[in-house]
Amino acid sequence: MTVVSTPQPALPVRDKGAGRALSPMLTRLAEERATGVLVREHGVLHLAEGRVVHAESPLAPGLDVLLTAHGTLAAAAWQQAAARTAGPLHAAELLLRSGVLPTGALELCHLDAVYDAGYFALAPSSTPGRFRYDSAPRLGPLPSVPVVALERETLRRRLLLHRLWPDPAADTAPLIRADPATGRTPADPAGPAGPVTPGRRAARVAPATPVTPRQRAVLDRVDGMRTAADIARNLGRQAFHTLVDVRRLTAAGQIAPAPAAPAPPPPPPYQVTTDPDIALLKRLRDALEAL
Amino acid sequence: MPGIDECLLEAMRLPGARGAALVDWTSGLALGTVGEAPGGDHETTAAEAAELARMAAEHGTFAAGGDDLPPVEDVIISNGDSYHLLRFVDTSFDSSVFLHLWLGREEGNLALARIRLGEMAARLVLG
Repeated sequence: MTVVSTPQPALPVRDKGAGRALSPMLTRLAEERATGVLVREHGVLHLAEGRVVHAESPLAPGLDVLLTAHGTLAAAAWQQAAARTAGPLHAAELLLRSGVLPTGALELCHLDAVYDAGYFALAPSSTPGRFRYDSAPRLGPLPSVPVVALERETLRRRLLLHRLWPDPAADTAPLIRADPATGRTPADPAGPAGPVTPGRRAARVAPATPVTPRQRAVLDRVDGMRTAADIARNLGRQAFHTLVDVRRLTAAGQIAPAPAAPAPPPPPPYQVTTDPDIALLKRLRDALEAL
Repeated sequence: MPGIDECLLEAMRLPGARGAALVDWTSGLALGTVGEAPGGDHETTAAEAAELARMAAEHGTFAAGGDDLPPVEDVIISNGDSYHLLRFVDTSFDSSVFLHLWLGREEGNLALARIRLGEMAARLVLG
């Protein structure tokens, strides 16, 4: 007997010859060991002496979500720490000092959050980034990440997602369930959503690959409304980890990006009235005369 | 309470330890490394070890029976001159990390290392 499944592409190893930087501005800031906050379209990097100490993105769950979603930390404990400090990084440092969380757990969660939000903060953007020199970020007790390491990891993650499934549409769109046998979605019974190339068609009709428990959790939350970022927040899971499962489930034909909402119907053409409303005109005349 | 670096340094005190790393098996990222890596490159080692860990973690064949148990505790590879010990870290938050210990075969004690690495993994996230 044979069991055929789509082989998983290998995790990429960075190309050491590739010297391209994701953001020339960020490279310059790292070289001058700048301290401040870099605001980009999809996220924010806090730099201290040229190292990334904290990152935030609306597309990635923050440290608070990661820590409280599964009861590692009580939500009230986070809120107390956040109320007494000037931001999530300082709240995390306060938690570290107070010893309510094991050091290793907090360091691990913090690094996860930095690389996760950093991935989105460094995503291609349509607007230039802005850097605000600010003495507030500083190298604290939690681990920081060299800019070059974050850039390299971000490039490697892009490559990993691309190898799993080359179309990024499912990363940001609301997701819908699809029939893995045909790749057909309820909204588009005629065929798979999106453009079909021979490769895509082949991938969609490949024998169903088993869904892992972690993928099952993602699949169970696909409801036609939630995006990958929503599912990550709902699961208290890193957004990039969720994207990996979303791309794999898309490749397996289990889910698809929801088709874009149809354009609103064009406004009705201006109607030329041949029969004016006599009553309205009379009221208007009376009103004008009364002035 | 030990942080990531202290945990890895403690692993390096095991007899025969050549190198250790804390690796995320979804992305293949090394969150911390110490000592040597086979081939001299921790990044490549992390990506390759992550492949192996992911295969073990995701295939039902290797999973423990109970729902409340982590699917897999560790993965052990032995070759002519060394052992590789991958110990999954069971965190209360959502994560996918393991400790990777590379151990020389002559000096290393696999049974001892397996027990100690399990204790270190627990202390790392439980304090």
